[in-house]
Amino acid sequence: MPTSGRPELLEVEGLAAGYLGERVIDGIDVQVQTGEAVAIVGSNGAGKTTLFRTIAGLLPAMAGRVVLDGKDLTRRPAHRISRAGIAYVPAERHLFPAMTLKSNLVLGAYPRRPDPTTLELVYDLFPRLRERQRQQAGTLSGGEQQMLAVARALMARPRLLMLDEPTTGLAPIIAQSAFAALEGLKNEGMTLLIAEQQVPLALSVAERGYVLENGRIRLSGSAEELERNPEVRRAYLGVA
Amino acid sequence: MTAVILDGIVLGLAFGLLGVGMTLVYGLGGVLNLAYGQIVVLAAIVAMIVIDDGRATLVAAILGVLAAAAIAVVLDLTLMRPVYRERGEERTLLGLLLTLGAAFVIGGVLSWRYPDGALYIYIAGDPLSILGVPMTRGSIWASVIALAVGALLLLFFGATTFGRGVRSVIQDEVGARLVGINPSFVRTVIFALSGALAGIVAMTNAMVGPLTVNAGFELTTFALIVTVVGGLGSVAGAFLAGVLLGVVNSLSAHYIGQYITTIILLGAAALTILIRPRGLLGR
Amino acid sequence: MDLSWRRVGWALLPIVVTAAVLVILPPVWFGDSPYTTSLAVQAMVFASYGVGFNLIFGSTNQLFLCVGALAGVGGYGAAILVNETSLPMAAGLVVGTVSAALVGGLLSWIAVRRSLGIIFTGIVTLVFSLAFANLLLGQRDLTGAENGLVVEGVPDRLADDHVGGYYLFVGLLIAFLVVFRALQLSHVGWAFRALRDDEVAAELAGVDVARYRIYAATIGSAMIGLTGALLAFSTGFISPATYSFDRVDVRVLVFVAFGGLGMLLGPVIGASVFAILDEQLTTSFETREVLYGVFIIAIFLGFRRGVVYAVVKLVRRFVPARRVSDATG
Repeated sequence: MPTSGRPELLEVEGLAAGYLGERVIDGIDVQVQTGEAVAIVGSNGAGKTTLFRTIAGLLPAMAGRVVLDGKDLTRRPAHRISRAGIAYVPAERHLFPAMTLKSNLVLGAYPRRPDPTTLELVYDLFPRLRERQRQQAGTLSGGEQQMLAVARALMARPRLLMLDEPTTGLAPIIAQSAFAALEGLKNEGMTLLIAEQQVPLALSVAERGYVLENGRIRLSGSAEELERNPEVRRAYLGVA
Repeated sequence: MTAVILDGIVLGLAFGLLGVGMTLVYGLGGVLNLAYGQIVVLAAIVAMIVIDDGRATLVAAILGVLAAAAIAVVLDLTLMRPVYRERGEERTLLGLLLTLGAAFVIGGVLSWRYPDGALYIYIAGDPLSILGVPMTRGSIWASVIALAVGALLLLFFGATTFGRGVRSVIQDEVGARLVGINPSFVRTVIFALSGALAGIVAMTNAMVGPLTVNAGFELTTFALIVTVVGGLGSVAGAFLAGVLLGVVNSLSAHYIGQYITTIILLGAAALTILIRPRGLLGR
Repeated sequence: MDLSWRRVGWALLPIVVTAAVLVILPPVWFGDSPYTTSLAVQAMVFASYGVGFNLIFGSTNQLFLCVGALAGVGGYGAAILVNETSLPMAAGLVVGTVSAALVGGLLSWIAVRRSLGIIFTGIVTLVFSLAFANLLLGQRDLTGAENGLVVEGVPDRLADDHVGGYYLFVGLLIAFLVVFRALQLSHVGWAFRALRDDEVAAELAGVDVARYRIYAATIGSAMIGLTGALLAFSTGFISPATYSFDRVDVRVLVFVAFGGLGMLLGPVIGASVFAILDEQLTTSFETREVLYGVFIIAIFLGFRRGVVYAVVKLVRRFVPARRVSDATG
């Protein structure tokens, strides 16, 4: 439920998308307010990645709309959506392996030259990256690559940061610290949209959430409401 | 022996520049431009026409380079559109075939209208002595230009924002799109750049000896060999492979024979594909 | 495979019709002109090359840019054998065909073993093509280089501007078409279609893609080699230009694609149409080059499955009820 007073940053209405003519997601309605952290939870194959790819412009929508701060971004190409202020960090990260960590970050600010303050901010958030500036991105560990992917997305000072399963391939301890970093970002006022299978982790940062099942929104509500919901507890929290 | 090697280096730098143009386009979009040699010839013919018209050589050279860049852009905006809509092997095959068609059209038209067309840029002056070997001014100019262009390219790809953007598209196109880079625009610009490089090769080659209107296929073949050996998509690889193959060519032609030389170069390409497909410096 | 006479009859129908047309062509059309005859022979030769290429590229997606070279292996192999030894023409034909088959099979085996994609296969075969041409030019004593080689011991009535020569190549072409058809209708043909459609799926369904590719390449190369060898004997004179990339590969690629890759009569229709077009439209070598270029672009942009297929589709749209004979395999 959107909190009154604050304007909606992202509005997704009746969104449908899929592959080879088949709809994988349908009738998706999602709202994200400025400064909010919203979680999309669901099991594998529920359609979380398809949803994010459609919002980010990597996949053309088959129906519905995606509106960012009043601007209709539906079916626009991915680079336009990136420049409009939506930064997407996919599960596969898509870093530039043969370029240095720093070059990856610099490109995050494309087409502008990177703002030195932003770079500093990012290094403060992820000190490990500062240490490994000159290292080739392809040689970084999984956790470091994930940090780099998020950092690169931040370089453009996005209005909305979308993360698809940020804990993929990370050891539990690293995953915890990753979410701690996300909490920090939220506290700085960043708007977050996070897709996660691990519900407790997601709801620890997010204020609201949507449950995605078989390509449709099954439930939505505040984090507490979802945590208390018996279906959610049974399906995702392993509680009888 | 030194003379042979130096000749090889002059040849090799030309090879390298030729390879760079082709490898860039392949690295970005998976397309082998089989019309590349014809674009070189086009630049030469345009320059020839301008010179015959009475203009200064420098003007002719610049116009030739611009013409090559222009035709490259035309190719990209027309034939390459349906090619980029395909993915993977389909794209490579279609690109191969359509550029082959374009090669025939361009080459055919040029041979038809200018059957005796040839460009020779004579650089006046006595030969200079390099390492004890007398080298014609033309050869020296050609090499210096090639090296200068190489250095500029290095600077461009290493230090400019757009250049880094190009490298990023080669390494991970989705990642590039996510940071706001338009791969389509980048491909068109690089196609134009490859055309300009083809034009420059035409001019430098013409400084060493006459470049005739039917040299197209041979030039494309050399570009292909250098691209494959250097590593598809690697600019540095193309230069390195170019120089190496140039020296090999020169040594082999001098000590063994012309036909065997061509076979050796072709064999190098085949060997690379069979043993180390990513080439010298490719990923 | 159901071998009832009726089924075999229907299967061979398009070939029989083609054979009939080709056989009555001379009296109807040639008018005793040796020029027209040699033109027709050329068309039959190219059509034969085309069937082999169709087997290799059309049916199993192997981009062999060395059709001319394979024909050259057959042609020069046969000619040199017959010239240097006193063996009869038949021996030359056998050696030529087998050599070409081995080379083609070897190239395919290499491509398969090293998992070369279409583009690398194309490059490697192109390299072979150019290397072979250079080899011919380099080995002057054996091949006569640019001056060509006169082939001895050829009976006159098989000469390429004589009707006998024409019927010889018609016979060859029909034989190739029968082989192609037989493969097409057997489990081999089914495997070909599967691997062309989706290689990974075919592999998972149990099709040994590698083996079928090598089969196709070997048989196709044998066809090309035999044609090249027969051509050598029929014309009595060969040179590197006879089997060059420009002369052979480019044309074969264009007209087989025109007729329809993988389709039985594709090469025949393509070769015939291009023989006529060549004559009527081109005034010089250069204009022919431009024409081919335009055709390549047009075909691969718009008529991926061949112009013939597009025409048939158009016809079927207007005559839906009528059962169009299965000439498109």
